[in-house]
Amino acid sequence: MTSVCFYFQVHQPFRIKPYSFEEIGHNHFYEYDTQNKSIMEKVSNKCYLTTNKLMLELIKKHEGKFRISYSISGVCLEQFELYKPEVIQSFKDLVATGCVEILAETYYHSLSFFYSKREFERQVQKHADKVFTLFGVRPTVFRNTELMFSNEVASYVSNMGYKGIICEGVDRLLQGRTPNFVYQTPAHESIGLLLKNYSLSDDMAFRFSNREWKDFPLTAPKFARWVHSTAGNAETINLFMDYETFGEHQWPETGIFDFLEYLPTEILKHPDFNFKTPSEIIDSYPKRDVYDVPYPTSWADSERDLSAWLENRMQQQALHSVYSLEESVLKTGNADLLHTWGKLQTSDHFYYMSTKFWSDGDVHKYFSPFDSPYDAAIFYMNVLSDFKSTVER
Amino acid sequence: MKSKLKVLTLGWEFPPLLTGGLGIACYGLAKALSKLVDLTVIVPQSNPELPIESFQLIGLNHIPFTREEGMQESLLEHLQYNYEDFATVKKIGIDLNPYPSYQTQVYREISISKNQTLHLEPIVELKASEAYDLFQDKDIYGPNIMRKVAAYTEVVCRLAESIPFDIIHCHDWITFAAGIKLKEKTGKPLVVHIHSLESDRVHPDARNDVYYLEQAGMQMADKVLPVSQFTAENIVQFYGIDPNKIIPVHNGIEPVRKFRSKKENPAEKWVVFLGRVTRQKGPFMILETALKLVKRMPNVKFYVAGLGDQLGHLKYLVEQTGMDKYFVFTGFISKKEVGELLSRADVYFMPSISEPFGLSALEAAQFDVPCVISKQSGVSELMPNALKADYWDTNKFSDLLYAILNFDGISETLVSLTRKDLEKINWDRAANTVFEKVYQEFS
Repeated sequence: MTSVCFYFQVHQPFRIKPYSFEEIGHNHFYEYDTQNKSIMEKVSNKCYLTTNKLMLELIKKHEGKFRISYSISGVCLEQFELYKPEVIQSFKDLVATGCVEILAETYYHSLSFFYSKREFERQVQKHADKVFTLFGVRPTVFRNTELMFSNEVASYVSNMGYKGIICEGVDRLLQGRTPNFVYQTPAHESIGLLLKNYSLSDDMAFRFSNREWKDFPLTAPKFARWVHSTAGNAETINLFMDYETFGEHQWPETGIFDFLEYLPTEILKHPDFNFKTPSEIIDSYPKRDVYDVPYPTSWADSERDLSAWLENRMQQQALHSVYSLEESVLKTGNADLLHTWGKLQTSDHFYYMSTKFWSDGDVHKYFSPFDSPYDAAIFYMNVLSDFKSTVER
Repeated sequence: MKSKLKVLTLGWEFPPLLTGGLGIACYGLAKALSKLVDLTVIVPQSNPELPIESFQLIGLNHIPFTREEGMQESLLEHLQYNYEDFATVKKIGIDLNPYPSYQTQVYREISISKNQTLHLEPIVELKASEAYDLFQDKDIYGPNIMRKVAAYTEVVCRLAESIPFDIIHCHDWITFAAGIKLKEKTGKPLVVHIHSLESDRVHPDARNDVYYLEQAGMQMADKVLPVSQFTAENIVQFYGIDPNKIIPVHNGIEPVRKFRSKKENPAEKWVVFLGRVTRQKGPFMILETALKLVKRMPNVKFYVAGLGDQLGHLKYLVEQTGMDKYFVFTGFISKKEVGELLSRADVYFMPSISEPFGLSALEAAQFDVPCVISKQSGVSELMPNALKADYWDTNKFSDLLYAILNFDGISETLVSLTRKDLEKINWDRAANTVFEKVYQEFS
């Protein structure tokens, strides 16, 4: 058998507002709450609510044969609760079908693994607790922020008791092998590695509406045919993407919802294909080979590395500065400060500071609430200056 | 093989006679263009200290002239020499004050009708001796600038009869009358290069003789080459020129040997401004920004290097607001002193109200100084890694300066990425654009 494994990332950061240096020392409210609310409103209507409704219909229609998974960041869950509670309910309805798995991650969608293991564990635990409170389930498969992954991440998470982990299938590390099997770490830890099939995933997530693409238009039968062509040489086709693919990155006019609606039927037409969630994949298939990732990878850009978050000096300084506050924050024993600190660790803040494509004038490469990576860095550093003075007072 | 295109370039300032970006740009472009075409450059004054090999430079101040008692010949009759003689240069022009205060209206020698056509009055009364004297004037602008323009126009048109050329390329309004006349006379294509406009220097609403001369030159021109997209837009908006004949050509810059120096007091943070202290440069934005910044940064010093008609007023306001301890006014400084200042600067600040290009920001960037510049500047199009705000937004300017002065990560990123941006900025690129998109269109 070959299983199609869907995993969708659901995340929205608490964006910080344009915060002037003149506010440092007396304005301790950093969130761009009006924008956060309106974005949550917009994306919920365009994507989350619409797509959840369709997913629920598909699950019911296929009587348990259509199965999917999500990881929803803690900061996103909080914003659902604050601004759009009905989205939480729609996810609860999905989980209640038994066909939907929720994955573990860092509560704040952070890079904490690379800066503080103690903070990393705190965030993973906090997220698992939140998921249990809302959905009554405990995640068993882990997904690090933006699929940031290395041997070290896998081994650490394995020791924390997770049986599987999601990662990118990077060509230079696969060395000609297919991502379509469960892999193991070089140290043969018990954890199973699920590698993203970026080619098929990106066909859906990025190329779907691209009229320049030679395979445009992409239809469900065509896509299913590509998936079926792996028969005999694949056990899991891991289709990992942003959930916002549906309705937000790909607008309804592109036909993405029709595509999604017909895809399960088309996939299931082949008797040797089914759908499984990540933990079911781990339980069903043996680890076929070693996937050795000595340096961190991610699912970002063609480099598939962490450069989108920490390539330039301002990103490095911002990250270093926020994590250097750990002891001071913990010493306050103040839960609100701890939570604010966590929200300042969200990876998006550093992503907005990326200058990777800036000089080429490709300003729209990244979705950012700011006009430039410099504005992102300036407002963040001003906020952090105020936070530091608050914590150290 | 086709012979090389022959281009007659009409310029005004030329190194080492520099006052603003015009002379530097004209020279840089000429040098790079001379690799592609046969080039003759005519300027009112040239200087032998600048060795020119790749093109012919004619300084009108070196036209041999013998003053004879009682001679009343017209200038035109007197221009009977062979011009090989005056490529050599003897005299240095110094102490330039190129931008006469715009309130003075002293010129009426050239009259331009306010409709679409330019009408140059015949300047019969201009005597050769007077023209000669005008080109010797140590100030190549000055209150009699229009008379100089008239003399330049006459002499250039006369000279051009013995110079073979295919294209006329004029730099800024002072040469436009000559360009227009030459085009009328010869039918050769006219290219006008726009380094700055009356709408920048004075006001977008300025409608004076200079404005009409600029407009006439651009109307008559086959192609208009502003130094930025910003200026291209101004040309359309304030001069009504057909956008289809406008081709922006960004200036290049000559490489320099950069160095860093230590400040006497390392705790001080230096914000540096270089340039004429005139309305166009937004000097009062510097003070407004400083007033906000020093509340949080008492260790900041604003260096204002340059002279101009607003300097006195700025000094007065600085004193009135009790800001004198945060300001240093250096007056005019030499090129060497500019290097010394930039080598100590923490940030370069250019809040220009309307800046066609803004070479000084690139010069600062060459010294690894992060730049804060107004969006109303041409150079901002070449500097994605400078920090920018609208010239009136002093809240934003103070935020940007504060960030650069306090967060090393931000200034280091700006500097390292700007180094890469600078690699792409050179005169060869500018010359190639002019050659391919403009000159070749005529051949």
